[in-house]
Amino acid sequence: MTALLWLAALPCLYWTQGVETAPALKKAAIERLCVAPDQAAAWSKAGFTPVSVSDTDLALRETVAAPGIRARADRASATRSPWVFTNGSRFLRDPAGKYVYDLPAGKAALAAAEAYAYGADAVLKIEAADLESLGPMLAFLAALPKSDLPDVSDVAVVDDGSATMGEALTLLVRRNLLFRTVPAPSAQYRVNVKLGTPEFPADAAADPSAFALKVRRQLTDEQRSLRIFGTEVVIGRLLGDGSRMRLHLLNYGGRETEGVRVRLRGSHPEGEANVAGQGKVPLEDLGLVDGATEFTVRRLGPYGVVDLPAVK
Amino acid sequence: MDRRDFVRLLAAVPFVPTLKGASAAPAGLPKLKVVTRYAPSATPGIPGPFPGRVIAVRSDKSVDVETSAANDEVVREMMARGMCALTGEKTPLEAWRQFVQPSDVVGIKVNCGGHPWCVSAYEIVAEIVRQLGAAGVPPTQVFVYERFQNQLDEVNYAPHLPEGVTIVAAETANRRADNRGYDPATYVEADLFGEEDTRSNMMRLVSQKLTKIINVPNMKDHGATGATGCLKNIAYGSFSNVARTHYRGKSHTYSFVGTLASVEPLRSRTVLQIMDGLRGVWHGGPFARTRKYVFYPKQILFGTDPVAIDRLLLDIIDDERKRHGAISIYDRSPQYLKMDDGAARDADPNVNIIIREPGHVEFAAGLGLGVADKARIKVQDVVV
Repeated sequence: MTALLWLAALPCLYWTQGVETAPALKKAAIERLCVAPDQAAAWSKAGFTPVSVSDTDLALRETVAAPGIRARADRASATRSPWVFTNGSRFLRDPAGKYVYDLPAGKAALAAAEAYAYGADAVLKIEAADLESLGPMLAFLAALPKSDLPDVSDVAVVDDGSATMGEALTLLVRRNLLFRTVPAPSAQYRVNVKLGTPEFPADAAADPSAFALKVRRQLTDEQRSLRIFGTEVVIGRLLGDGSRMRLHLLNYGGRETEGVRVRLRGSHPEGEANVAGQGKVPLEDLGLVDGATEFTVRRLGPYGVVDLPAVK
Repeated sequence: MDRRDFVRLLAAVPFVPTLKGASAAPAGLPKLKVVTRYAPSATPGIPGPFPGRVIAVRSDKSVDVETSAANDEVVREMMARGMCALTGEKTPLEAWRQFVQPSDVVGIKVNCGGHPWCVSAYEIVAEIVRQLGAAGVPPTQVFVYERFQNQLDEVNYAPHLPEGVTIVAAETANRRADNRGYDPATYVEADLFGEEDTRSNMMRLVSQKLTKIINVPNMKDHGATGATGCLKNIAYGSFSNVARTHYRGKSHTYSFVGTLASVEPLRSRTVLQIMDGLRGVWHGGPFARTRKYVFYPKQILFGTDPVAIDRLLLDIIDDERKRHGAISIYDRSPQYLKMDDGAARDADPNVNIIIREPGHVEFAAGLGLGVADKARIKVQDVVV
């Protein structure tokens, strides 16, 4: 992938303010931005890399939700997992899609990381106050080592394209159940899901949470390629080719989490993390247990990525 | 016994409903997988040298029920008499030396959940530190601990303790964002309700630092377990991610409490149980945000067997509830269950938000943690 293409793969800030705001963008270390076509020349002259996005282009993009969490009002006790808003399943369902985030304050950095982690073509409409957090995140993403590894998937899902299935896929993402949408069941996956079969009747996805739990129980926790402990608001996207692995970690909780414990199937005796706001950090308490690799990421803000090289 | 054997053992432990008022056993006990690299000591602290033995020291002068203030001088006398009675020694110093050596790093597991009306008493904690010092354990080797720092801060033991004592928690608050205080290699794994995080990890302080632990629970009702005493204080107070065991009216505390307490090295290192019964909570526990359900047992229980003490505690709480006309902690009737309605529970002692599991005490006995059969528990009463 060329540097230009790589840059193009990063989420793009959509900026409607005039070129007189250039100092604020430069202060945030933002160099590339999506602007109206008639503004592109001025931004280019100001030293930026503008990408022309017309109103029509913007309207054709699918609007996705602001990522984050919301406490579950219907559940009062201390064990309740918060509701995680993630767009991961939408990106996985339509990887060629074009998306736009329309974000409230405080969400820009996480949204940028989410789009990057899923390789989504996304533009970000943000609150100006978020430049301060978005700039460093975009710089961090741009500096990450390139990777073209494919998804690791434990579950194959025959996607009927329905909204119900969309909700069910969202729950799979939220539960860190790694899936791939396929045209037909395949023996290469540990679990195949096709609605309308004896194992998954037509209404099996009507309750997305129960659906995800059923998939999980069929797969079993021991056979899952990815487990995350110590938090229920961190979602992983695992890529790998059987030897090298890359794990994107997205923290939707809105605050730093300390001690995120990860279990990956397979043996990976070494690796390192790149964490936004911290740079390269060693994996802590790394060990091989029962055919799996476990390690701890000491502190995780909105995003980090873990690279595990091939075993020598 | 290896880990797999332990899992099998848990699955094999039968429920024998011999407790008074006990009804059906919880159906479908969850599979609990214990992971630890620590071996038990030659004589594990639980149940220790005195299984089935409890010293109950009472004093009418120990607490002023009007102000709820404890009498420091009386508490010290109660502590001295209790320790001597438990060990058979003539002096407190000799008694304490049965449990600690100068080289020990000692943890004092307090309970701060009942702030402001029912927490591990300053007077008791201070006296423990004083006696540890007399036995040669300097303050720098003493750690007063809880799971949540914000609770410790509220209670604020520091002004009552000598300089050098460390007051420490595993997490800043109960918000699941801070796991570095837990040992990633020592945990109990269980899928109880389909929760994604299935591990409860032991505090690093317990597994990696302390050599001895003194457990100082209170006498409190608990909505999920029936009562919270020695077992629950040491278990749920030393592991992460434990509130997940009770949810929507259902409690898995029946097998979870004892299993956590049995995990090494917690079991071996917890050498002494001192139950603070100066004050108690007969409903709405483990919290005590108002005095509405606070009562004054005016006693301290001593032992090394947490099961025996907790077995007595079940009766103490249930008897107090009866005095107020409240339903028994053994009541499993759906008619009294208002799931997740904490406000209703706080307003009415005849409301449960979860079906309580007082049978957790007997389950713990089945794990070898002590004696639950009242006919085999020997209580020595001491009056100060």
